[in-house]
Amino acid sequence: MHEGRARESKQENRNRFMPKLTFDALKLHYQQSGEGPDVVLLHAFTGNMAVWAFSGTVEYLSREFRVTSYDLRGHGASSAPPHGYNSAHMAEDFRRLHDALGLGPAFLVTHSYGGVIAMHAALLTPEKVRGVILSDTYFPGLREIEPDMGQTVIWRDMQEHFQSVGEEIGGTVNFSRLFDVVRRLSPEQMQGIKKRMGAAGARWLAQAGKLAGTTAGDEMFEVAGLTRERLCEIQQPVLALYDEFSPFKATCRFLTEHLPNCRADVVPGAKHFAPMECSATFNEMVRRQLRQWRDGAAQSTDAA
Amino acid sequence: MPAKSQVEIVADLAAMLQNFEDREYSGHIGPETRFFGDLGFASIDAVILGEQLETYYGRKIAFNRFLVELMESGAEDLEVGQLAEFLERELAT
Repeated sequence: MHEGRARESKQENRNRFMPKLTFDALKLHYQQSGEGPDVVLLHAFTGNMAVWAFSGTVEYLSREFRVTSYDLRGHGASSAPPHGYNSAHMAEDFRRLHDALGLGPAFLVTHSYGGVIAMHAALLTPEKVRGVILSDTYFPGLREIEPDMGQTVIWRDMQEHFQSVGEEIGGTVNFSRLFDVVRRLSPEQMQGIKKRMGAAGARWLAQAGKLAGTTAGDEMFEVAGLTRERLCEIQQPVLALYDEFSPFKATCRFLTEHLPNCRADVVPGAKHFAPMECSATFNEMVRRQLRQWRDGAAQSTDAA
Repeated sequence: MPAKSQVEIVADLAAMLQNFEDREYSGHIGPETRFFGDLGFASIDAVILGEQLETYYGRKIAFNRFLVELMESGAEDLEVGQLAEFLERELAT
């Protein structure tokens, strides 16, 4: 077979088995399973949709909901454009995915930065968002109430891992620097860090360099219009799940005190990574809330 | 597709993994080969592998359930032989 044709054939085959939506130059990788009201899962910055597979969230929720998970731009198997990584850009990606898949108003289940995107989407396209479950989310628009974000325990641990192989990522959160360091790690350094980070950390590290060369590390900290005031305008129900050892407890308090329809709950034992650290508890808390919202809406319809 | 033996499935997997996502692996791939430790898999690769297996075998495969069981067992890695064992059961149903 001609070499060019062979390449095309390989690409066609890849497109067939790997579901992707194409919007101009952007390709978003997604999966969908189950039947029922729509649930969309939004992962964290530097994560990917695999978190929802490994945590069992897809498996658990798809027994009674139609669950769509996708890789955010620049993450997992989605393409990585050089720019466009603040929450407004990502909320627009959600809108396009929602339209392209013909989803109904959806419950958004999120982790960390996925929650910023979900809340931005709730504000910009309220007709597409029935409710939001946050998991330990930090909001750039609330940075004045989280002044120590730059020195979280998570980052300090990461700094120590990198220092153990002679690399410095700095004492405050700087993702652009982190991505560059990851990209130029030697195989020996990579192995050394993986050993320290454990299995989940090793799986994360293997793809963390993908965002190097993009503006994602800086753009994810942009307020991008999701200010403190705009956050307080969100009318949809919100469950603020914050981890027992969360670095963002002030954010949790703010949300419950200022949003019109928000309640909080704590994931026992978790330290920012509840979907992975406490999967069974996290999944059960999420399912209980989704059922309440779903059944509450059904009861309202019956009453009408 | 008719049921396959574990040996046949390991051979299928080896062919698939030799050039997975355009990453060449020149070493031998057998039942003891580890996905994360030896092949350098990232978490997203497991998801993609699940999609590729469904295409290759032309049927739905409960791969997510398999991943959950793996995590619940406390396993830190996955061997090709373990996946072949699961697939043998799955393809026989």
